[in-house]
Formats: sequence, C-alpha cells, structure tokens
Amino acid sequence: MFTPGSKYFLGLTGLSFVSAVLYMFFVNPSDLGAVALIGVALAGALIAGFTLLTRDGDVFTADEAVEAAAQPITPSMWPMAFALSLAIVLIGLATRPIVFVVGVGLFFGSGIEWAIQNWANRASADAEFNGFVRARAISALEYPGLATVGGAIIAYCFSRVMLGVSKEGAPIVFIVAAAFVLAVGVAVAFKPSFRGKPALATILVAAVVLVTAGITFTVKGERHELAEVSKADEYNIKNRECGPESAPSDHLANNNVSMRSSVAATITVEDGKVYAQLVGIPTKVDSVTVPRSNFTNILFRNLDSEERRLMVNLGTQKVAETGVVEKVGTCTQLTGKGQENVITITVPKPSSADQQYSFTVPGVTGEIKLVVP
Amino acid sequence: MMNQENHMTSEKDMKTLTTVKSTRRRIAAGVAGASAALILSGCATNAPQDTWKPKGENAAKIDTLQKMVFPIAGIVGVLVLALAAYIFIKFRDQGQEIPAQSHGKPVVEIVLTIIPALILSVVGVFTFRTIFDLAKTEDTEMIINVTGQQWWWEYDYPAQEAQGITQPIITSGQLVFPVGTKVLLRETSRDVIHSYWIPALNGKKDAVPGRIHLLRLQADKPGIYAGQCTEFCGLSHANMRMEAVALSKEDFAKWVANQQKAYTAPAEGTLAKEGETVFLNQCARCHQVNGIKDATGKAVISAPDENVYAGAAPNLSHLMSRNTFAGATFDLLTKDCRSSVWDAASEEFGAKYLAGVSESCLNQKDLRAWLRNAPAMKPMYADPAKLKPTGGKYRGMPNLNLTEDDIDKLVAYLLTLK
Repeated sequence: MFTPGSKYFLGLTGLSFVSAVLYMFFVNPSDLGAVALIGVALAGALIAGFTLLTRDGDVFTADEAVEAAAQPITPSMWPMAFALSLAIVLIGLATRPIVFVVGVGLFFGSGIEWAIQNWANRASADAEFNGFVRARAISALEYPGLATVGGAIIAYCFSRVMLGVSKEGAPIVFIVAAAFVLAVGVAVAFKPSFRGKPALATILVAAVVLVTAGITFTVKGERHELAEVSKADEYNIKNRECGPESAPSDHLANNNVSMRSSVAATITVEDGKVYAQLVGIPTKVDSVTVPRSNFTNILFRNLDSEERRLMVNLGTQKVAETGVVEKVGTCTQLTGKGQENVITITVPKPSSADQQYSFTVPGVTGEIKLVVP
Repeated sequence: MMNQENHMTSEKDMKTLTTVKSTRRRIAAGVAGASAALILSGCATNAPQDTWKPKGENAAKIDTLQKMVFPIAGIVGVLVLALAAYIFIKFRDQGQEIPAQSHGKPVVEIVLTIIPALILSVVGVFTFRTIFDLAKTEDTEMIINVTGQQWWWEYDYPAQEAQGITQPIITSGQLVFPVGTKVLLRETSRDVIHSYWIPALNGKKDAVPGRIHLLRLQADKPGIYAGQCTEFCGLSHANMRMEAVALSKEDFAKWVANQQKAYTAPAEGTLAKEGETVFLNQCARCHQVNGIKDATGKAVISAPDENVYAGAAPNLSHLMSRNTFAGATFDLLTKDCRSSVWDAASEEFGAKYLAGVSESCLNQKDLRAWLRNAPAMKPMYADPAKLKPTGGKYRGMPNLNLTEDDIDKLVAYLLTLK
C-alpha cells in the first residue's frame, strides 16, 4: 500500500511531529523551533499524500521494477566523491570557511549525482537505456553547473590579472584578450578546418594560460596603488577631516549609482543657498526629521559653482578622560559642481533645546535643522 | 476445501475494500468540513481587518481592482484545480496499461498560451493603473514618519504649520491623523523588515532598514482602523499590531495641542510622585518621557541605544492619550470602555477617544501583568542569559523584577501621563 517515497515522507512527518511535541515539552512551547517542526510535519504529510495518490509518479510496472532492481549496479565514482566531500566539509569546519563552503557544494553535487545514478540504474534492465535516463534527468543540472564553475574560474582569474597588472598595461591586456576571442570566433565561423580539434586545442591552451596567469597574480597581489588605498581606508570617517582639503577618495564617491536608491531627504546648495526636500514631497523645507538610533541616508546635491561638502553637526560632548567639550559631527566628501554625495547618519540621542543638530555647508549661509524626536 | 478457502479469501477482500472505502469517505468528509469552515470564516461580521471593506480613497482603489481580478482568478483557479483533481483521480495507477505516449500539439499549445496572455494583459492594464494611482504623493497634505522595530511601531510627526504641529510629536501603537486628509507615511525600520498594513485604508508596504518607503493613507470617517505587521519579523510578529485613529480636523487639532503640552510632574507627596522616582530608576534607561527631570533638575534623556537591539523603546509621553500599549498588543482600556470608543458613532468618536484613559477605564490587569513580567505576556528575546547574539542587548522589554509596591506607584504615575 505504501510506496517507497510515501514511506520516506510519512517517516519525516512522524519524526517531525514527535520532535515538535518533545520540543514543546522540554524546550519552549511557544518557540519558533516548535512552529518550524510542525511546519515540516505538515509539509511532509502533504507530500506523502501526493506520493501515495500518484504512486510516486512511477510509470514502470511492478514486474519491470523488480527486474530493474535485480540488475547489477554499475561502477560509480560518486560514493567516493560524496565521502571526499564530507571530509572536506569537516576540514572546512576546522580550518577556513571557504573550504567548508566548497565542501558543502561538493557534498550536494556528488549526493545528487549519486542519487540520480542510483535511481537510473533501477529504471530498466537495459544499461544503455538507464544511461539515457540518467543523462536526461541530470543534464539540465550538470551543464549549467559546469558552465557556472567554468565561468567563475575564468572571471576570477581574469579579474586577478586586471587588478595585478599596471594601470597602463591593463587596457593592453584587455585588448589582446578581446582580439583573441574575436580571432578564434572568426576562425571557427569562416574556416571549417579550424573547427573541432584545432579550436579545442587553442581554447584549452588559452584557458591554461589564463588560469596560470590568474594564480600568479593571486599570489603576487593587487597593484601597488590599489593595495595602498585598501590599506589606508580613506572612506573611514576616522581617517579624514571635514576641512577644505581634498583627499583622493573625495572624488571617487561622487555620483555613485546606488546613492539615489533610498534617501530620507535631499539637501541642495544652489546660488549660495541651502535647502532640503523630503522624499515624496516636492516642496522645500528648512528642517529634516529623522528617527532616533536609525541609519538614515541624506543625499547632498551641489548645484553651486564651487566644490562643497555637507556637514552634519550633532551637538557637543564632553570627553570623559579630559573633560574637554568637543563638537560632534561628520561630513560628506568634497562634491563638485552638479555632483551628488550621500551620507549615512545615526543619531542615538534626541535633539533638544540644549542639544540642537543641523546640516550646514561651509561657505554657504543658512542651515537645515536636523530634528530627532 | 478449496472452495471454502476461496470463499474466505473473497470475504477478507470484501472486508478490506469496505474498510478502504469507509476511510476514504471519512477523509473526504473531513476535508469538506475543513473547507466549509474556512470558507464560512469569510462571512464573519466583526472583522476589523477585512480587506473587502474600504474606508478610504486608497483602499477603495484596491477594492475596485480586486473586485475585477478576483472573479477572473477564481474562475481560472477553480477550473485548473478541478481539472488537476479529475486527472489525478481518473488516471491514477490502478495497474492499467500505460497509454501510448505522444508529444506536442501546436494548436493546443498556442491557444493555451494566448488565452492566459490575454487575461493577464487585461488584468495588467488595470493593475498598473492602480499601482501608479496609489504611488502619487505630490498632493500630500501631511507627513508622518513611521519606524518599525521588533515588535512595535513608532510614529513621529515633523513640525507642520498647516496641521498646527509646531514642534515634533512622537508616539507609538496608534497612528492619529485627521479625516479627509492625504497623509503620507514615510516608513523605515530599525532592525529587520516589517510591513505596515491597515487593510481598511490602503495596501501593505514593507518597512526596510536603511530605506524610506512611502504609503498614503486617507480615511473618510472618524474611527479606529486595525492593522497588523505582515512581514514575518521574529518571535512576536503576530503581536505586532497597529491602529490608525482618524479624528475630525477639529478633534485632531485638540489631539495635537495635547501632545504638545509640556510635561507636568506629579504633585509632591503623592503615590504618582513616588512612581515618577521608580520610573526614573527603572524605566528611563530606555523609555523617554519628554520633559521629565531628575532630582537635580536635569533633563533625563533615555539611552535605549545602549540597552535595546533596535536602539529605541516606545516614548511614553502622553501615554494615557493612547488606547493601547506594548506594540498595540494590549488595550489600555477595559473591555467596556474600549467598546464604547470603538463602537461610537462618527460624531461622538472624537470626544470619546480624546478623553483618553481614566483611572476607572484603565485595564489594570494587563498593565500590571506587563510591569510584573513583560516577557511572560509577549514572547520576546529578553532573557538576560541569552543575549550573546545581540551583544548583550534586549529585543523587547525584560522582566525588571519590580515589587508589587513599585508596580502600584508606577501605575499611579503612568496614569498622570495624559
């Protein structure tokens, strides 16, 4: 009466249900764990019902199934790969997260391959037909999977090369690579004798060269200026001043694509005046209200003729060690004419008569009140 | 002998068949009963979150759209499910011969592609028109910032001369606004994704950390409109409720005036004054009451950012002007007093709501239980021993182990926050 598939799901249902009951008794009756386990039990019951109704979707007769099951098992590398992946997962747990992630990927990949092959071996008494069944079931996963891995290796190696070669050399490498791809494409299209083994050999050689170069540059590291910028971290507020000086990173962040994605307000400086506009309301306002203790993005737009930066003045605080009262605040990078910059602020304490906050633009009169209720 | 054995086997088969049929009948009856109960639940009259009863312009637009789309979707859905059920039952495996296998029938495939495409095109035109209508904000008359966090909503009203709001107002649990006014909610979140939904006034809109999402509300009549967070946001998601309170413009002006009133400390020597001291010692670490001062006369600013994962706790200024507490999970009013506000006629509603919570109407049972042990009332991550994932910060209110004496004092004090 019960099919193999339904037995599995009924078992899952029973186990989940028992676990849920035990969990509710011994851990916490109102915890999410119990809800999750009951959810698994319900899902298992539903699928068990379907598998019973459709008899596991098995189109083979009982006789065919018996005959298929009696076939000798063909040799397979997947059990070994599966065991190896488990070892990699364990090694990853003890060493580096990336090893763990690779292990998990291999674990699922080899597990699926093994399961599909095992299933296909039971499809019929004909080994050739079984091979066809296996290919039909798994090819839709295998080809995209291999293509993704191959593409990722090529992209990674190429990116390492581009980050490693000098600024002047990078365009040359790019042109050479693009010209090679074009040349191979043209040869394959117009020279029939090049198709097949010559083309394959050329692509293999190119792949080996790319992977070798990628490994070399991975070991060597990024080019000098990139390594320096990453080390100095000029985007960190602690490493820069809100003065008139200009740092290399000042101009890098202008007009980022992401900056308009979600801002609470836009503060504009135009003709020597500063004004604010709240998202959703076109009128100009002279105060911006932001929630307390919340990340809030403010867009600064400079329509003036000079470079400007937006300053956020967050009152004063007394330094515990020295007793000195100092100003608290932050600022955007210098923003050129017609350009924009975004700043994210978080204000933990509400504004009050004693502690008033504001936005100002050095060199421009007026201010926008920053209200934190 | 042989005949007798055959007869017994046949009798056994008949018995098994009867049992199977009887089991199937029972399952079918159970499924039919459950389905009927589910369908009949749609007929409930006391359903404040009914999506089919719009009470404002925006909800009416959605209602008009869904009244067109649902019948079409319903007919298609029933047809597809009925066909699937028929195929499941009719062609289930009964040991029959496998029929001849065929592949592809261009005419059928083209027809079955064109028909859904046409239906979806018609639905799409009306849907997009409604979406763009609902997204309009240029004629906004009032703005309110709405911030979600586990598991309550904060509302802050920036200064708006046109609405008589001269200084910011901050409240929680109940969103108060004037009827017939195009109100723009600017939503965000302090911790995880939440979703704001008052079914009678508009569709739902996610509140996402770091983003500002816009949602328009407008109510035709004074009253309270119930809502519910609709994005799973953790342990007490189901308890993250909200209520939108629409007042006539005159009543809204009174509400604004009350919210902007300065803090009045309780008189010396009263129980409430002792409660203020308990509040300063126990509650003011996270909860702000605007204008409250300590014994030295210094303004007290709470520091929820140091104690709470979201960085905020409900501001309790004018608490007793609200009808709910703890993220609108519990009522501040007793059942009878609450009913008299909720069921009031439009013209009487404002006065009843603005009366706030009097001592006789205060739901002391729930408020005291909350003060006694909040996590026992509402599931929260407030066990001091399990705060490692949040760096020692609470998500929700912890058990403060207050004495009954302290609770008496606190209740007396909170009652003064009108």
